[in-house]
Amino acid sequence: MTDFVSPARAMTIGGARRARGHWLVYIPLIILFLFAVAPLFLTWFTAFKTDQQQLANQYGLPLPPTLDNLREAWTVGRFSIYFKNSVVISIADVIGMVIISSLAGYAFARLRFPGQKLLLYTLLIGLTIPVAAIIIPLYLTMRDVRLLNTYGSVIVADIALAAPIFVFIMRAFFKDLPSELDDAARVDGANEFQIFWQIMLPLARPGLMTVALLEFLWSWNDLLLPLVFLVSDELRTLPVGMLFFQGRFTTDYGLMSAGVLIISLPVTVLFLVFQRDFVKGLASGALKG
Amino acid sequence: MAVQQYSQGIAGVPAGRLRIRRYVLQRYLVAYLFILPVLLLYLVFVLRPTLQTFWLAFYEWNGISIDREWVGLANFHRLFGDPIFWQALQHSLIWTAVVVTFNLVVGLIAAALLAGSIRGRLLFQLGYFLPVVQASIVTAMIWLWIYAPTGVLNTGLDTFGLEFLARGWLGDFTAVLPALAIASSWMTFGLSVVILLAGLQGIDPTLYDAARVDGAGQGRMFLDITIPSLRNTITIVILLALVDAFKVFDIIWATTEGGPIRATEVLSTYLFKEGFQKNQYGYGSAIAVALSLIILVGSVLNLTIRERGDD
Repeated sequence: MTDFVSPARAMTIGGARRARGHWLVYIPLIILFLFAVAPLFLTWFTAFKTDQQQLANQYGLPLPPTLDNLREAWTVGRFSIYFKNSVVISIADVIGMVIISSLAGYAFARLRFPGQKLLLYTLLIGLTIPVAAIIIPLYLTMRDVRLLNTYGSVIVADIALAAPIFVFIMRAFFKDLPSELDDAARVDGANEFQIFWQIMLPLARPGLMTVALLEFLWSWNDLLLPLVFLVSDELRTLPVGMLFFQGRFTTDYGLMSAGVLIISLPVTVLFLVFQRDFVKGLASGALKG
Repeated sequence: MAVQQYSQGIAGVPAGRLRIRRYVLQRYLVAYLFILPVLLLYLVFVLRPTLQTFWLAFYEWNGISIDREWVGLANFHRLFGDPIFWQALQHSLIWTAVVVTFNLVVGLIAAALLAGSIRGRLLFQLGYFLPVVQASIVTAMIWLWIYAPTGVLNTGLDTFGLEFLARGWLGDFTAVLPALAIASSWMTFGLSVVILLAGLQGIDPTLYDAARVDGAGQGRMFLDITIPSLRNTITIVILLALVDAFKVFDIIWATTEGGPIRATEVLSTYLFKEGFQKNQYGYGSAIAVALSLIILVGSVLNLTIRERGDD
């Protein structure tokens, strides 16, 4: 993948080099920029508007801003509960995924064992399976192991379904580390787990970061699994809560926008802080599956 | 010192033979322990349900009763004669066409301009990518508001004197599917820009230099160098959109639930209804089998092209 931030080679559509782009090239770029960010920003603004302000001007700034919508969504709309549920599930997902994907990625990259190729290809199939296609038997499985309507059902399914892509990401990271490292440690009498834990894992920190960020993003944003597995309102995550909330308050844009703000703010902040990891991770994730 | 001890330890014959075997077996065991957690989860919650989907498709079952009735190919027979199934397939193809056109045209323009020397490149890229990280429920809610009868789009059209174009976008049979596909493009085009930009930056600049010496203009160079060089990248963007179009569920479910009257029904919403609302687990699974096979073909093509591109 290209470096997201570094200045690209000077080149226009046809490849001619120019010192500075002509001002005309900024017009499509700015229009597209507004198309991308304006819907989100407008919705965020609406979260801070009273109904009167909203009726008077849909595009106006929230002046003076009100916190009533957020307060109502948080309490009456039960977003405080949904928020807690989303946090619990996403954090558990991240911890679980970091552990199991780094263990397996390490084994596939640096250890030799019979059946390695076969197992790797079996995981590769998993990259292509859409969740919707297996949701019926997955639901039945959760029912049989008595996990339905628990955090556990969503956590376990999230991890199992996304594990293949993260194993491949971690495998790529471990493969790039120099082989002298573990040879030297092995000679010094370190066992495989010590090599993994004390030498390899600290070096694979950028990979772990990618895994943690993407898994957080995907579990935070996921709709289908929590929608199917979690029946009681007490356990619902933010996206599912929003879905049912929307059914009840469909015309109250201020309240709905407050809900959107609560869901989108955490991932937006994370994205702005770790933009490079997100862009690279999502681009390579998309290319793989 | 340590090196010596190590090599002496395994060089001993013949007692060392056994030791080597034990050492090797132990290493295998350790390796298996490393992959055990992933393997267990994968077998129970991915592979088994996948096989079960294929198996359930041969039964008629409401999910609760103990009897499952083996019906052979009846579910598939019904599927091929089911107009809703063909409609759903058609919807997915229209969706793909809209998303591909949008992401390719917009993505190529943006990537080509960003590849030049541009002030504020980072800001543009951040902006384009911001929707990519949003939850699909957020996208759905935002566009529900944009497309509402008195929503942002219609008031905007009014302002510019284009009120004849205004309509209840999500209630309109012909407009609703492309409208939602545009919402989906909003959420995905940033990724296409990144992928296409990477492709553009991979083109050998000497190709352009040579063409310029031959007197080729900007347009010629774009058609004869840029587009052919991006062939693999463009194919990947198309296949990604295709696979996405068949996977889509959230945006449709949160806005129209497949309506109005099936105008936005796709395979995933149809199988969700058959499975979880009508308890037709067998028929729902048959739809799921069709969905899996389509996506499998798309993904295999994607991987093959990607491998070829890496050579």
